[in-house]
Amino acid sequence: MELNRRQILKYAALGASLPVTSSLLSACSSGDDAGGASDGTVKFEGWDYEANLVQQNLDRFRQQNSIKVDYTPITSAQYVQKVVAEFTGGGGPDALYVYDDSLAAWVEGGYLQPLDGMAGVDDVYAGIFPGNAEAMTYQGKKYGLPYYTDSNSLTYNAGILAKAGITKPPASLEELEAQALKIKNAGILEYPIGLPAQLSDTWWSWVWALVHGSNGNFFGTDQAPIMNSTDTVVKDVFAWLQQAANKSKVLDPASLQLLPVPVDNAMKAERYAYTIGARYAARDYNDPAKSKAAGMIKLALIPSLDGGVHGTVSNTRMYALAQDTDVKDNAFKLVTYLGGLDADKKPYTAKFWFMQRGLGFAYKSMAADPEVTASLKKFADPVVYAKLAEIARPRNVLTVPWYTEFEAELHKVVQQVLSNQTTPSAAVASLEQTATTLKKKFS
Amino acid sequence: MSVIEARRPWSDTAKAYALNAPAMIVIALLVAYPIVYSFWVSLQRNNLKRPRAKRFIGLENYRSLLTDDAFLSALRVSALFVLVVLGFTVVLALILALVLNERFRGRGLLLSLALLPWAMPGVVNGLMWRTIFDAKTGALNGLLSQLGLIDTYHAWLTSGTGAFFFTAMAQVWNTLPFSVIILLAGLSTIPSELYDAAKVDRAGAFQRFGQVALPWLLHPLLIVLILETMNAFRAFDTIYVLTGGGPGDATTTIALLDVQTVLTFTDFGLGSAYAWVITAITLLISIGYIGLLYRKGNFEV
Repeated sequence: MELNRRQILKYAALGASLPVTSSLLSACSSGDDAGGASDGTVKFEGWDYEANLVQQNLDRFRQQNSIKVDYTPITSAQYVQKVVAEFTGGGGPDALYVYDDSLAAWVEGGYLQPLDGMAGVDDVYAGIFPGNAEAMTYQGKKYGLPYYTDSNSLTYNAGILAKAGITKPPASLEELEAQALKIKNAGILEYPIGLPAQLSDTWWSWVWALVHGSNGNFFGTDQAPIMNSTDTVVKDVFAWLQQAANKSKVLDPASLQLLPVPVDNAMKAERYAYTIGARYAARDYNDPAKSKAAGMIKLALIPSLDGGVHGTVSNTRMYALAQDTDVKDNAFKLVTYLGGLDADKKPYTAKFWFMQRGLGFAYKSMAADPEVTASLKKFADPVVYAKLAEIARPRNVLTVPWYTEFEAELHKVVQQVLSNQTTPSAAVASLEQTATTLKKKFS
Repeated sequence: MSVIEARRPWSDTAKAYALNAPAMIVIALLVAYPIVYSFWVSLQRNNLKRPRAKRFIGLENYRSLLTDDAFLSALRVSALFVLVVLGFTVVLALILALVLNERFRGRGLLLSLALLPWAMPGVVNGLMWRTIFDAKTGALNGLLSQLGLIDTYHAWLTSGTGAFFFTAMAQVWNTLPFSVIILLAGLSTIPSELYDAAKVDRAGAFQRFGQVALPWLLHPLLIVLILETMNAFRAFDTIYVLTGGGPGDATTTIALLDVQTVLTFTDFGLGSAYAWVITAITLLISIGYIGLLYRKGNFEV
């Protein structure tokens, strides 16, 4: 056959379009897989904490249940945005991690389905701490099974304190400042206190811990802002922060440039004597293979304004089931394996995480497990650890759809306080105005 | 007579359209459609977290900007950022271009070095300056300490003014080479006879610059002003990496606020409105520059 110019062009165009066409088709087919493949594969997503360990645990699930799991770890900093984008585009996972502060918005968005009435869910909720059950419940319905929970503590280096002649951790903020000044004046550390105060998309647990620590709150029970009312805890905590950063200069000004990991590294390198953060970090700090401060790091209650009352903040991370999953039974089996109880009525995965990485657990029964207590003693005082769990309160605005916006504004305001750009009174007034505006905007 | 032979040949215009059609379709799909769609989204209440609340609200997102404290603050920061970055960029670029326009030993090497920052992506630029400004291990602290100018290391990015100034300098460093190239190209088109004539007329160096070089540079300067204003107004990556917008909102520019609104708060409606305001402001400034400088520039001798 003789080809003319027109035919050559036609065949060339067809040939050139083949790769595009095939990739479009494959994209379409992968979309099908994402919504639940015909072989029952569960598409599972989570933030990228210890992805290798997650995969190891999922391999065990696959062996036991013959259910394939397509696991995708997503960088923590972008987790919320990416999952929201996926659900919006119609290609979300079947099962996933959920932050307690995302739950309300994701339920409202129609991304998640309630677990009420599903096998074993009531047993799980009966066996966990009430605060965790509350954090996984929205408008009376249960949406998650617990991944891990933790509360914040004052974490200190007993070795550095001993060098300065300090024998016990501070009970009040005034005492904390005095102790830090003693360390500073002794020439041991220029800035004994370090906090992760760089602007970020994740919550600043230490701010909430300090406020809860003095029995205060940003919001009342009706979620109306109370930080600028006769309850002056927030303002007084801000005033202390400003004083510690700018007057006594015991709080490192570089904190404004620090995310949690650099603070962890500084604690392990003995560059800070005190920080405030999750209890489980103490395990890493006390690991001789990773930390110069191993054996010296202790947990204490969060110092309060008066040194008498104590409290802290807790958070709950959970596993949830997507609303539109096509493999609901398999996905629920996976969620149960990860966050629920096994055939022996034991929380296998929750224990796995505690033993592997010291992640806090929601199950009451685990507190009495000999293996757990033996492991706990290696990095923390079980009495203090348990006391922190007992007095911890979750944030009471997690169910409002504007929580993320408020948290972002809180970061900015606290940075302004720390860098002396505003007064504590102006800071709480600004936060109150922000909360009021957001409430109105989202009403 | 066959059908092909009977067909009239295409006009040049038709051929031009036909040949450009594939490219125009791609541009329409990849550029025009998103632009138009983003305007459509800006007319909606459209927050991914609240899909059930999504609806058309006309210009409400734009009206809300007038009372939006975060937006007004970001606008102020952006305006100041543009002024500082533009001021430093134009002055430094002019000086560098004038130097590089001279013949001297090592000019080629200096020109290559001057271009280096331009090759660096914004994020890498931010990370580099972040390392330099680091409060514990930063090169700036090390240098000043060794020179005996400071006793202890400083956290340079933790005061509002410091963070703003150092972020602006990092941005200038990144975008300066582009301006240098444009101005250098402009300088190289000036006939040497003009300088010679000015010398005969006993004009000094400053007079030669003001009377000969500057009029010839008005058009290149216009390009620099328009593009650098757009760059500074849309600056995001360097600021995001260096300060994240802090401390407080000292370096929260409108581009940073836009990204936060869209990606963190998933408010696509308001975020799109921010983006259109950025576009409109940049367009207005560009028109202002053109009106001010274009007619003054003269290529005729």
